[in-house]
Amino acid sequence: MVRLITHNLLACHAKGCTSNNFPLQFQNVQIELKEAEFNPTFLETFMPKLEWKALVDSAKEASATISRYILGNTSLPLEQPEMLDEEFLKNLHHVLLEIHVEEGIMICPNCKHNYPISNGIPNMLLAEHEIG
Amino acid sequence: MAPRSVTSVSISEDPQVYEDTHVHAVYEEIAPHFSSTRYKPWPVIAAFLSSLPAGWIGLDSGTGNGKYLPLPSENPSRVWTIGLDRSLNLLKIARNAGGAAREVVWANVLDHPWREGIFDYAISIATIHHLATHERRKQAVQRLLQAVSPTHGRILIYVWAVEQDDLSKREIPVEQSTELSLGKDVFVPWVLSSSDKTQADNQVFNRYYHMFAKGELTQLVSEAAEEMGLRVGPKSEYSVSCSGIEFKQNGWERSNYYVELHCWAQ
Repeated sequence: MVRLITHNLLACHAKGCTSNNFPLQFQNVQIELKEAEFNPTFLETFMPKLEWKALVDSAKEASATISRYILGNTSLPLEQPEMLDEEFLKNLHHVLLEIHVEEGIMICPNCKHNYPISNGIPNMLLAEHEIG
Repeated sequence: MAPRSVTSVSISEDPQVYEDTHVHAVYEEIAPHFSSTRYKPWPVIAAFLSSLPAGWIGLDSGTGNGKYLPLPSENPSRVWTIGLDRSLNLLKIARNAGGAAREVVWANVLDHPWREGIFDYAISIATIHHLATHERRKQAVQRLLQAVSPTHGRILIYVWAVEQDDLSKREIPVEQSTELSLGKDVFVPWVLSSSDKTQADNQVFNRYYHMFAKGELTQLVSEAAEEMGLRVGPKSEYSVSCSGIEFKQNGWERSNYYVELHCWAQ
């Protein structure tokens, strides 16, 4: 699956593509929502590692796609809040761990390399001449 | 089951093409059968995953059927492990490892499709021994070092050993190479039994392995780290501002060598 937690860690690794290679942009995505166990301790510890803007933007892209589904709240504040209340953590949990991108493409903002997602598995393989 | 012989090989072609033929293509073929024999986590690895602080995220580089993704079993949502493998057929199994949705990525262990140093830990279990040259094995270790945090990252690596367990079903050829410290390149047969049980119909797939010699894994890791400008040894040995790795465990278990590394910076 490509959940937004994974998407937030991935970067383009094509030959010579070393700057502006994150976040990969979603295109033509199909999404499934699956419940996951809520673990606030995990979220609080993991949060500082998130690239917040990338998460907020990809959550917006995803929610534009899933507006036709019944979904939880994908609205996250533009800045990471200092006070982590339960409502915020539940939203973060939903966005990070319950939105699964099953099909689609991730495009590098810099070199435009396409990484396809099929059956929930992102193909990050490069052809031999693209390996840095 | 009769002992299966391991045969020596030498690699003359391009190592990537060699791995495609003798590792990747084989796993694609044997994936479901292979997976059905790989369900029990090894104790040192389970203990490592249980020892991690809550909230850490990790990479399982060469995850295979994903059997380590659901750990630690006593508290599975404490840490978050993402699986990477070159075999799509194994990933199709791994993405539901332990009966829940898992995060998996299709890539080569020599790739680095991540933000630098973003993981807190990485494991590489029975994977690096499938790479066909010393250089490529070193590169795989460097990818792990790049993947984890330079200040607190932890890495666990397992590879197959020349020194085999008595209980192992395999017979290792005794004509030893003159440089045993460099390990041994072999084919290990995987027998896919056909349904009617007649041996003639069994399909045999030879998988390439580099069997590690005693001391070879620590040597490889040290070389990989030093090439990246990292010191090797405990932090307390250095007084200047620098980064390094320390071996926290270094052992042999069930026909495998393993090391646990901790990254440090000061």
